[in-house]
Amino acid sequence: MRRVTKLAAVVATAALSLAACGSSSSGGGTTTESGSPAATTSSAAALKVGLAYDIGGRGDKSFNDAAAAGLDKAKAELGVEIKELSATQGETDADKEARLTLLAQAGYNPVIAVGFLYGTALKNVSAKFPNTQFGIIDSTVEGATNVTGLVFAENEGSFLVGAAAALKSKSGNVGYIGGCLIPLLQKFEAGFTAGAKAVKPDIKVQVKYLSNPPDCKGFNDPAAGTETANGMYDAGADIIFAAAGGSGTGVFQSAKAKKALAIGVDSDQFQTAAADLQPVIMTSMLKRVDVAVFDFIKSFKDGAPLTGVQVFDLKKDGVGYSTSGGQVDDIATKLDEYKAKIVSGEIKVPAEPAK
Amino acid sequence: MSEHPERSTTAAGPATTVPAVELNGITKRFPGVVANSDVTLKVARGTVHAIVGENGAGKSTLMKILYGMQRPDEGTIEVDGSPVTFHTPADAIKAGIGMVHQHFKLADNLTVLENVVLGSEPRRGWRLDIEGARRKIVGISDRYGLDVDPDPLVEDLGVGERQRVEILKVLYRGARTLILDEPTAVLVPQEVDELFDALQELKAEGLTVIFISHKLDEVLKVADEITVIRRGTTVRTVLPSEVTPRKLAELMVGSELPSPQTSESTVTDRAALEVKGLTVRDREGRPVVDDVTLTIHAGEVLGIAGVEGNGQAELVEAIMGIRPAEGSVVLEGRDLAGVPTRERRTAGVAFVPEDRIRQGLLLESPLWENRMLGHQTSPPNARGPLVNRRGARADTERIVRDYDVRTPSIDVTASALSGGNQQKLIVGREMSGNPRLLLAAHPTRGVDVGAQAAIWDHLRRARAEGLAVLLISADLDELIGLSDSLKVILRGRLVADADPSTVTPEDLGSAMTGAGSTTDGGPAAREGSES
Amino acid sequence: MERFVPRFDPRRTGLAILAPLLALAVAAALSSVVLLVADHSPLVAFQEMWNYGRKPEQVVNILNKGSGYFLSALAVAIGFRMNLFNIGVDGQYRIAAMFAAVAGAAVTLPGPLHIIFIVAVAVVVGAVWAGVAGLLKVYRGVSEVISTIMLNFIGAAFVAWAVTPQVWATLENNVVRTPTIPESGWFPGFSWSGVPEGGTQTVVFGEIYGFIVISGLVGIAYWFVLSRTRFGFDLRATGSSEPAAVASGVDVKRMVLTSMLLSGAVAGLVGMPILLGAAHSFGSQDFPAGIGFTGIAIALLGRNNPVGIAFASVLWGFLDVSNQILDIQGIPKEIVTIMQGTVVLAVVIAYEMVRRISVASEQRRVLSSERTVPTDPAVDASSGGAK
Repeated sequence: MRRVTKLAAVVATAALSLAACGSSSSGGGTTTESGSPAATTSSAAALKVGLAYDIGGRGDKSFNDAAAAGLDKAKAELGVEIKELSATQGETDADKEARLTLLAQAGYNPVIAVGFLYGTALKNVSAKFPNTQFGIIDSTVEGATNVTGLVFAENEGSFLVGAAAALKSKSGNVGYIGGCLIPLLQKFEAGFTAGAKAVKPDIKVQVKYLSNPPDCKGFNDPAAGTETANGMYDAGADIIFAAAGGSGTGVFQSAKAKKALAIGVDSDQFQTAAADLQPVIMTSMLKRVDVAVFDFIKSFKDGAPLTGVQVFDLKKDGVGYSTSGGQVDDIATKLDEYKAKIVSGEIKVPAEPAK
Repeated sequence: MSEHPERSTTAAGPATTVPAVELNGITKRFPGVVANSDVTLKVARGTVHAIVGENGAGKSTLMKILYGMQRPDEGTIEVDGSPVTFHTPADAIKAGIGMVHQHFKLADNLTVLENVVLGSEPRRGWRLDIEGARRKIVGISDRYGLDVDPDPLVEDLGVGERQRVEILKVLYRGARTLILDEPTAVLVPQEVDELFDALQELKAEGLTVIFISHKLDEVLKVADEITVIRRGTTVRTVLPSEVTPRKLAELMVGSELPSPQTSESTVTDRAALEVKGLTVRDREGRPVVDDVTLTIHAGEVLGIAGVEGNGQAELVEAIMGIRPAEGSVVLEGRDLAGVPTRERRTAGVAFVPEDRIRQGLLLESPLWENRMLGHQTSPPNARGPLVNRRGARADTERIVRDYDVRTPSIDVTASALSGGNQQKLIVGREMSGNPRLLLAAHPTRGVDVGAQAAIWDHLRRARAEGLAVLLISADLDELIGLSDSLKVILRGRLVADADPSTVTPEDLGSAMTGAGSTTDGGPAAREGSES
Repeated sequence: MERFVPRFDPRRTGLAILAPLLALAVAAALSSVVLLVADHSPLVAFQEMWNYGRKPEQVVNILNKGSGYFLSALAVAIGFRMNLFNIGVDGQYRIAAMFAAVAGAAVTLPGPLHIIFIVAVAVVVGAVWAGVAGLLKVYRGVSEVISTIMLNFIGAAFVAWAVTPQVWATLENNVVRTPTIPESGWFPGFSWSGVPEGGTQTVVFGEIYGFIVISGLVGIAYWFVLSRTRFGFDLRATGSSEPAAVASGVDVKRMVLTSMLLSGAVAGLVGMPILLGAAHSFGSQDFPAGIGFTGIAIALLGRNNPVGIAFASVLWGFLDVSNQILDIQGIPKEIVTIMQGTVVLAVVIAYEMVRRISVASEQRRVLSSERTVPTDPAVDASSGGAK
């Protein structure tokens, strides 16, 4: 009995401390960076904005950080009062509901949920708080008038980097690596392929996904990124679009080793990459979560809240491509032409890969 | 209430008038109970003074007080005439009192020398003075005839040698008075004699020995004076020449005593257990029980004599079905091959294990659950697939009463009982439910005289009703007294038969160690005619 | 002789409650220190937690979480009583919930039958998954600690493979789920509504999973089987001393296998409250990995006692939901994890201390009846039963 008890105590606490490690970055960020005394400096009439992060929270150098950047900008430029909460590892929809409920109950309006995982929870909570306007990144809630879906035309941005890849490719062979085989990522794939083919109809586009739902660990598996990219480069690709979150680093490393190029995703990854990897990052497909968050908040400040489904597309500068490093400067005019055509509607970018 | 006749110092000791140790009016209370009450004891220098008493009579508490492990609530301790107060054993050691515990406190993987100096390392400046220590150890060994070599590892020593190392360790620390707590419990007869020789040497050198025991014949052999303690207080101090073992035992229990002798034979010609060619192998495939063949008849007690660790435990476990074995075991005509332990138990095999803590008890469970152990499938403990708590509890109360298990309630855990009372509970449990065969290893080990007699009575009664008993015991008197026939086991083989009506403990002892063999025809012939 | 009914022993009960209270106090003290160091008032933090945790919505939340934790801890406790360490409850519960969800969605049966079918699938799958570890231990001597950990990984990989659109799941809003179980396979819950504090209108606070009743019944069954049946006696005997159990005739190999199967069967139930009460399909979101490990902590805290485990489950749920209120108050919510970790370690130490105290006090009581000294007639009288 006692042998097992001791062992069990060790296992139980180890499991807990692992969970704590998983969430510590978010918590630390919340207390040290959010500046909770903000409430005291803002005026009584200040807009109170609540934001609930996905797992990882502020400081994840990716998706959540992009949302945080928009929030920070809103605080600085619009003087709104903010409150950020982060998710815990292994939580259920009930926990997410409780989080959104707390924000709504405390009078935060609007309340922004970061990530499609909040979909189910938001559906329930929005019904309980009809007078609160909610926003959700990357998802929509059907039939709820007080939920604004903040979604992106990732396919349009991907089209541009696809075109860039085709213009730059010498081998006529490019690659796409998605983090997880879900429709959201297939949208990237569809745009990328369409863009590449628009430039060079006979171009070969290799497509690989690193993982499947529900675990989607391909967003954080650099080793798998390297391995898959190695295979693609060996099969003739000279440029790969890595739409795989944290696994992108692995793709960049492979590109460096194979003396090839890669394209980043979400934010301008040239800025955050290690110096030795910067040369291989030709450009990044920008998904401006920060713009979406800021615009959504600003619409309240302006008195004309955004509702319904808001698609952040090329026209709204919700997506785009980065120019850091200057590798696409020579083809900028070509890309701007495509952009103009997409904005004008002349080119319709598909959202789903061709079967 | 107790008498302490003043005596002149016995002839054996040098004539000093000041006692080495004197206790006066020692009383020790634990919450709700008095463990020692007005204990008075005078131990003359240069003598062996025995303290005898039943289990739980208060011997251990008294010794703990004398060794500084516990402090008395009342009373005084004087060493060599001057009053002392002990807070810790270290104080007692300083005053020249040392203790040799029943269970040795030696580190197996250190040498004798290292064990002896451990805790009082000799220093010269900053360095360990190993050579000085060796000289001192050899000196003590020679002076007291202990015959201890400082260099071998303790794990290579026999039990008797280890005990002498313990004694030497105490002497090394400068003890003038030695307390020996049940020193013979772990020794075979030959080793006991060697110990007693050593004690005579110590005495001759002017040291004082306080000898705690409940083995009365030994006490009578070695002691110069004997103090009897009963129910926490000193009853009387006697000279060995004045008393017989029986008289002494009666002083201990305060009443008349039974003996282990079985009156008349109840052996029938109905074989209860027939074992043929039983062989048990250890992990390496070596036989630990080697081709054992024996028959026990209904109403017969078959004693197995042997030094512990010669295959007795394995033999019993094989018959119980706990250990895989080759050969056949037949219980009342039924071949038990492949029959699981539980079915053997329900078929009437009862088992008093050698190691009661490991195999006989659930230490953290209450007594009434321990009463169910091994009998959990049969009444009064079970009703169909359910536990019959009421029945089990009632029957536990019965066992507690009949076997004199001293406990405040049947709800205390088994670990709270003293060893003797645990044993009484186990024997009581195993004798319940009319067993056909009892495998009893040391059924009265650690049990006080009164309860020992009760257990013997129960055994004899059951034997008269046709119970067959396989008796394993280290107590040769018990073995000879109870058995109808005797066999000697050595290295897993039955090497000799003995007739309990003629054999002496000494003969048996030498047969056990392989030094000689007893070959009188009685039981051997009987068995031969049967197989 | 006259008392056959087990008596309430205030001293023993007191000691049993003392240990967890002591552990809680230590955990509270330690987290207070951490809070003070981080410049937060522990009093404010604890008050916020308490006020938030007793809101009806959160009570519902706590009970719903607790019902799963309770079953998880019972599954672990069955192993503990037998000296087996089933670390694999986590894998067993997830794979069982997944199969139950898939099977439940694939059939149409009248109400209760449908529920029974789903639960039966979960129980069988959980038992089989744990049984693998049991067989390995019995026939190959593989430590159940190792094999159940391995089976956790295998189970997680299998679930990840099965819950894909290519196999058994559907993809909606980027979230994968198995098909939804028809309504006949939903376990009705207890809706709780009332007027919230400071409000005027009646609102629905939430729905307590109906399966919580089954959890309670499983708890009662656990108690009954362990303390009232021969099987339970054999199991506890094996747990407290294997050699003694063997000598008493227990077939330890069969016991290991049976208790692993039972532990796995109960582990299979862990996902049922949420599956039958709210989720109605299996997606990773509602069946997070880790509940099996939480069960270990709760079984330790509740000392394998069903009532203790029930309290510990509620406490755990309470601490879990406290995360939220601390976060919104700007108090580091990691304090909850610190408390949970401390309480587990402290309770193990506290129980050991209390055990020693109670053994010592018992020995003293026995001593008092063994040694009857004429000067103390009271003692003499009390031990009269022995003679």
